[in-house]
Amino acid sequence: MILTVTLNPTLDKFYWVDRLPLSLERAEEEILIRARKSSSSAGGKGINVSVFLACMGVETVAMGFLAGHTGQIILRDLLERGVTANFVWIEGENRTNITVIEKGKEYHPVKIHEEGPRIPTHAQEIFLKKYRRMLKRAEYVVLAGAIPPGISETVYKELAQEAGRAGVKVVVHAGRRPLWEAVKTGPFFVKPDVREELVVGDMPVRTEEEIIAAGKKAVEYGCQACLISHHVTGDILITPEGIWEYEAEVPLTKFKNLVGADDALVGGVLFRLTKGDDLLEAVKFGMAAALASAEVEPKLCLAPAAIEHEMRTVEVRRKEGS
Amino acid sequence: MKARELMRRDLTSVEPDTLIHEAIYLMEQAGLSTLPVVDEEGKLVGVITEHDLIHAALPEYFEMLHSISFLPNLNQVQKRLREMAFKPVSDYMKEALSVRLDDEDLHIADLLIRKRLKQIPVVDEEGKLVGVIRRIDILSRLVR
Repeated sequence: MILTVTLNPTLDKFYWVDRLPLSLERAEEEILIRARKSSSSAGGKGINVSVFLACMGVETVAMGFLAGHTGQIILRDLLERGVTANFVWIEGENRTNITVIEKGKEYHPVKIHEEGPRIPTHAQEIFLKKYRRMLKRAEYVVLAGAIPPGISETVYKELAQEAGRAGVKVVVHAGRRPLWEAVKTGPFFVKPDVREELVVGDMPVRTEEEIIAAGKKAVEYGCQACLISHHVTGDILITPEGIWEYEAEVPLTKFKNLVGADDALVGGVLFRLTKGDDLLEAVKFGMAAALASAEVEPKLCLAPAAIEHEMRTVEVRRKEGS
Repeated sequence: MKARELMRRDLTSVEPDTLIHEAIYLMEQAGLSTLPVVDEEGKLVGVITEHDLIHAALPEYFEMLHSISFLPNLNQVQKRLREMAFKPVSDYMKEALSVRLDDEDLHIADLLIRKRLKQIPVVDEEGKLVGVIRRIDILSRLVR
């Protein structure tokens, strides 16, 4: 079973518009944008990974905090998609994240992310109890996404240590300090989120050399694999055995919705690892899943045939190592 | 149809040492009238229901009168509930009927009807909670 932790779940709302005017021509005007199409679904990085895995037939349990009417909608969506849910309920309302996708500029969406509810200390204690219990059933745990108000930035480090003691492999898919604190525990697989800032730990990751240096630092801490985005269609995998570059020749104009592509990547890697693939092949499949997801309007591409098709476009090159 | 196809994979639950006010809060937030009670291993050890909590808060002579219309107000019930609030769930939970993943829909429906249950927990071969089946889950499947 693969356990995913999403401390700050969201209801992802997508609006597709023909044109996105962001400035007024006359002061008395107001901007009215009519959506050509809209959709909503349960979200947050861990939840997206769980949805992907459940659709691929992998047993997965999603954990985190739910609140209010939005929490009910998130739960319902997860259950309908075959994800097992084990959440702590708190007061307030889960966040809603909005993405507006303009026709012809699909690879530059406009996003508005809410902060999410504050998590009371008592709810965190209940979560930890449930988490320890679920670790007993898990093979992998995915610690993913933003940290909500009220929770320490060292939370992923603490959860990774708990998982390590339980003999569960840890995957960290997050950014900034929460990621880097967890990296110091030597997790199995790390996928840094560098969307907001091209930094991993305190190291910049703008160039190939910088990415490799940051990945090597993670490996020094005991990390078995660190996969860092180089650009939209290229990632670099750094492991103790060597360094590989994954590249896909796909024009940006082919992309319809980039939200969730990274989560499909992590889900794809885990899916193939549970099927017995080695890490290099699993990452290739993950990248194909990310490309397939970016090329469809729904957040995640859940069609195995489309993902297999994308496998042909992903090239793997060894950069370092024997 | 088997339990594994009918069940909601929702593991919302409490533990025996969860306090009653926490269980009531969870029922309210999660919109549930019954909560499975699990031990540290995740094994089902009982259930706690809204119905049982209401009955525990009512005066003892309620059983004879079958009505609360004789009460001048709910002060007595409120006082009793506040006394119960910091007691553990284990004081009020009852033994849980459950079904296995491969149990058939007819058997599950029979249990729900005969025992007047709103939902029934589903457990795996080790007795661990893996989901719940509500009456509405069966009804909505049958009407399709």
